[in-house]
Amino acid sequence: MSTYGTTRHHPSQPPPSRVSTDYHTTLFRRLVWEGAVPLEIRVDPKELPANSDRGLECYFMQAPRVSYLPLLMPEIRRFLMDVVFDEAAAKNLKEEDWWFETEEGTLLKWHWSIGLIYDNHTISASVRVPSQAHSMSTPLRLILHLASPPTEKLLLSPSAESCKQAFMGQLKEADFIRWGNTKRITGLRKAEQDGLWEGIKDHNFDDFWRVASKVMPIVPSTRSQSPPPASMHSRPPSADNTAVPDRDGAYNVRSVPVRVYLPDGPVLQELIPPILEDGTLNTLSHFLTTHLPLLFPQRPPAPPPSRTNPNPQAPPAPELAFPLIQGVLTPPDSEVAWLGACLAGADGWLNICIGVSRG
Amino acid sequence: MLSSTVMAQAVGSPEAPPHSIASISATEHSEAFDEALKALETYKKKDPSKVIVRFKAVGNAPIMKQNFYKITSSNRFQAVIQFLRKELGWQASEPLFTYINLSFSPAPDDTVSNLFKSFATDGHLIVNYSTTAAWG
Repeated sequence: MSTYGTTRHHPSQPPPSRVSTDYHTTLFRRLVWEGAVPLEIRVDPKELPANSDRGLECYFMQAPRVSYLPLLMPEIRRFLMDVVFDEAAAKNLKEEDWWFETEEGTLLKWHWSIGLIYDNHTISASVRVPSQAHSMSTPLRLILHLASPPTEKLLLSPSAESCKQAFMGQLKEADFIRWGNTKRITGLRKAEQDGLWEGIKDHNFDDFWRVASKVMPIVPSTRSQSPPPASMHSRPPSADNTAVPDRDGAYNVRSVPVRVYLPDGPVLQELIPPILEDGTLNTLSHFLTTHLPLLFPQRPPAPPPSRTNPNPQAPPAPELAFPLIQGVLTPPDSEVAWLGACLAGADGWLNICIGVSRG
Repeated sequence: MLSSTVMAQAVGSPEAPPHSIASISATEHSEAFDEALKALETYKKKDPSKVIVRFKAVGNAPIMKQNFYKITSSNRFQAVIQFLRKELGWQASEPLFTYINLSFSPAPDDTVSNLFKSFATDGHLIVNYSTTAAWG
């Protein structure tokens, strides 16, 4: 596991301080980066050109969660050219007209990461009746259409350049949510900004994080392991021996950039402070019970004591739904600040997909 | 999946997520499942409220006579861009770049409601518009 120093410098600050990204933060960021999901891509049989090699038109791949559909298209195209289409058909391939949908007819967006598309499909499946035995590693079946893209719904063209613009926009939006400005991203040199996207394109963790570590929030190493129970928390010490500049600390952000996805929509964005008004750390369960109380109800109060039950316990809260982050069932006690620094997507956003439990 | 194994070990949670338990027959859903579906219906309801959007021209972009508009919260930002084009009288082919708070271009499917919640100042959402890419 590599730890590496970063140089942070802000125009108004005196000498740059060397802060190394600590081991646990890097560990989780690398796990997120290495996460991949199985895709099964099949051209719509009605659109296969004549003389195509039918029976071979299905392509399986492991796609990185942090990548995007437009970046997968060169690989898919090579497969189709080599295996499926004859020369005449290959000449007529117009990638700008390609579009994807799931078997259930959900249109897939170019600016959503692969991991988000996959988790979104998982939660949509959780509400369908009858329940299929859907395991976490079922390939996501995509149908590739070669013509007539529904542009008014796709909103973007499938080009890598368009995807890059959307990606940079999301990085800036997340930056603004954290700090009230986008100085950290815009303060990067152009070559560095481009380097972020190149890191995604080449799927190179070191190249991406060499730049990203300058702009993503820092977790002080005293906080990066599993936290003690929330009741013991107060503000993390600002003068600890890791000398984390307050300006970049994960617990000093104004709000964690979070989007919550419900099955088949809507997408919700809320302001999520890392620390609550009473000084305790904001947790995933606090956030969910506050903003989605119908799906994450508070634990009911304990019944009054009685003769037969002098020390009643509160019954457990009903489990109606579950949160998925990077495909992982996330523990309710997770601190939102930590999640925002360690489990966010490459674009800086913490995407929480909410599925429905099968009681 | 490596990350889920690590997380499961870290916190002792079961490795199988709830939804992979396939023992329930098609006609039997629990009360909890029904309650969850009802909750989803509630959350899906479109917010009919309107919020104030303030358009501010940047650079050589023309200033409109009217700059404050009430826009329905549940609209996507894409609808705001189209509305602005109509107010400016610009064709789809003419370049139009939009930004929030002079800082970033939102995703076209970000809703006005979400943008307002996160970025409104003084009770309105500032949308800057220009003919050239500035902060994108």
